[in-house]
Amino acid sequence: MTNAQGKPVTDERSVEVVGERSAAEPGAGAGAAPTAIAESSGGVVASLFRFQSVFGLLAVFVAAIIFSPRRDGEILFVSADNLANVVRAVSEIGIIAVGMTFVILIGGIDLSVGAVLGLAAVGSAVLMVESDWGLIPSVVLVLAVGLVFGALQGIATAMIGIQSFIVTLAGLQIARGLARIWSDGQGIAIAYGNGPHEAPDSFAVLGERTFGGLVPIPVLIFAVVAIAAVVFLRVSAFSRHLYAVGGNEKAARLSGVPVVRVKVAVFAICGLLAALAGIVHAVQLNQGSPNDGQGYELDAIAAVVIGGTSLAGGRGSVAGTVAGALLLGVLNNILALNNIDSNIQLLIKGLVIVAAAALQRLRPTS
Amino acid sequence: MRNLNLPLAAAAVLALVLAGCGTTNERTSDNPQAASSKKCKGADGKYVIGMSQANVAEPYRQRMDDDIKAAAKDVPQFEVKFADAAQDNAKQVADVENYITQQVDLLIISPNEAKPLTAVVKKAYDKGIPVLVLDRKVEGDVYTGFIGGDNVEIGTQAGKYIAEKLLPNGGNVVELKGLAGATPQAERHEGFLAGIKENPKVKVIAAASGDWLREKGQAQMDALLKANPKIDVVYSHNDPMAEGAYLAAKAVGREKEMKFTGIDALPIPSGGIKAVEQGRLSATFTYPTNGKEAIAAAKKLLVDCGTIEKTQTLHTRLIDKSNATQIYAEENPNG
Repeated sequence: MTNAQGKPVTDERSVEVVGERSAAEPGAGAGAAPTAIAESSGGVVASLFRFQSVFGLLAVFVAAIIFSPRRDGEILFVSADNLANVVRAVSEIGIIAVGMTFVILIGGIDLSVGAVLGLAAVGSAVLMVESDWGLIPSVVLVLAVGLVFGALQGIATAMIGIQSFIVTLAGLQIARGLARIWSDGQGIAIAYGNGPHEAPDSFAVLGERTFGGLVPIPVLIFAVVAIAAVVFLRVSAFSRHLYAVGGNEKAARLSGVPVVRVKVAVFAICGLLAALAGIVHAVQLNQGSPNDGQGYELDAIAAVVIGGTSLAGGRGSVAGTVAGALLLGVLNNILALNNIDSNIQLLIKGLVIVAAAALQRLRPTS
Repeated sequence: MRNLNLPLAAAAVLALVLAGCGTTNERTSDNPQAASSKKCKGADGKYVIGMSQANVAEPYRQRMDDDIKAAAKDVPQFEVKFADAAQDNAKQVADVENYITQQVDLLIISPNEAKPLTAVVKKAYDKGIPVLVLDRKVEGDVYTGFIGGDNVEIGTQAGKYIAEKLLPNGGNVVELKGLAGATPQAERHEGFLAGIKENPKVKVIAAASGDWLREKGQAQMDALLKANPKIDVVYSHNDPMAEGAYLAAKAVGREKEMKFTGIDALPIPSGGIKAVEQGRLSATFTYPTNGKEAIAAAKKLLVDCGTIEKTQTLHTRLIDKSNATQIYAEENPNG
């Protein structure tokens, strides 16, 4: 195998066993080229840890069934309608969290995603309602705004060398400010129709349900994003670069990985997905509000952490993140169905995040 | 009580037939009370009420929840659940969806914003759940009843009080406004201008936005005090900003030169009624939380099988030195 520069990459395995790989912990590679750990070498214990969020999700799901309120013998939690609600409610956070996984895999963080979601929601509403643009041009422009915004943050962190925490903290303020300027500080209501100042009916479809009114379209969008990300991480050479940069940036650079390009691409993807989530957000609420999405970055980070991705970079998976997002969604739902006091809900969610992180500490390294 | 139930049931059936309610739950909005007759099981029933609150960070909204809780204690048939959307429209939609899943007998909602919650409120209503909307409306009229205060009226009362009681011979007023873009802010401003129109000698010499917050009101007042050597009255869109303005004036030793008025009059230790009682504010105007009224309306629908007004507007009361202590005691019967 060779990388983009045509230099051989030291990788013992020519065949991927299980798609997403983990690079060695920083230091473990001792400055050499990043070596991937064969999935098999870790044995059963390692794979238990690898899929901790999947087991966590199963555990929470079973607990939800046990603790679900019942009515006339029907378990409310597993009713089709309720499960559709659960996945619909996490789809926005899920889409953001997929992008966040990429960023965290390279050892970065993106705090701007919630504000970019608000900016994209406002953009969709302004373009379609106030400027009477069609669906396709509006969506393309809004996605481009997210992509460029993310890319600029990537450039600031990769080329200028400012830590991504600082860059995206500034990005959060800038995106929020832009959202307020773009909307004059007001939520913009979205009405549908063919007249002036109405969004096209085709946009409303994004908020509806399909397959006999059961599966919300936002869920399908989330599923497509997640599957595309998993496949992308399995088949592309880019994925090797990603894990290499996260595992040991210096070693990656020395072995010819285009570190700057990887970083810019990753932040651009994250911005793009945050904008996509913003479009989904606007259509679900029939409104683009400049204040929406506040705190979503933290929910997304929580989903990634519960999913077993290390904030140090170089280790984790999109599948884990998806399970993490669903785990939070199921948890939110079952706590609400049992009417647990909202303040207690906050405590429980905090403890779940800590527990997930603690499990990661126990995880055997190579 | 058993024998009471028969005529009630008969009345309910009759109402259903008269309402033309067929076999489906889908109802159009020209038939707003059918849901209640379907849910009404009379005094022997047990009812679960879901309350969806926009956020509990604002004391006004926390008090609304507390008032609902207190009023529901007196109705043995009622059990009330609470959800807090933490100012997130998307979370409030999910909260209402969860109440629909639980098949609550009645939904009370104080929306974070109108537009994003209109669809899910309609969904609950179409499933036959009566919906009471408090304080902020949703769009259209697909709900059972709306209970709220009238911010234009409150602003007008405050303006009249300033023009007639505080400044009969005229004077300079500064206005501390709520968050720009918020409906109550616009209405409390508009009503105020109408209220002082009668007295042309009352002049609004400056205005600033304090975003409803005490610390922001204080910072804005600092600047207003420097810019304006003669201020007679500070009209504030809520009590916390008025308190902040008072602190700013006190810091430069000018609090005796001017009078302060607020709005909201929450009957809590940190609220406006206490500030009037303790002499920091000259007056404040009640903005009812609607909690008691919501439970009364729920009782009428579910227990008495009656109907309610589509819109119930609660009027404001002036709180000044003469009645502050008494009203605070009335609002907190248990001390």
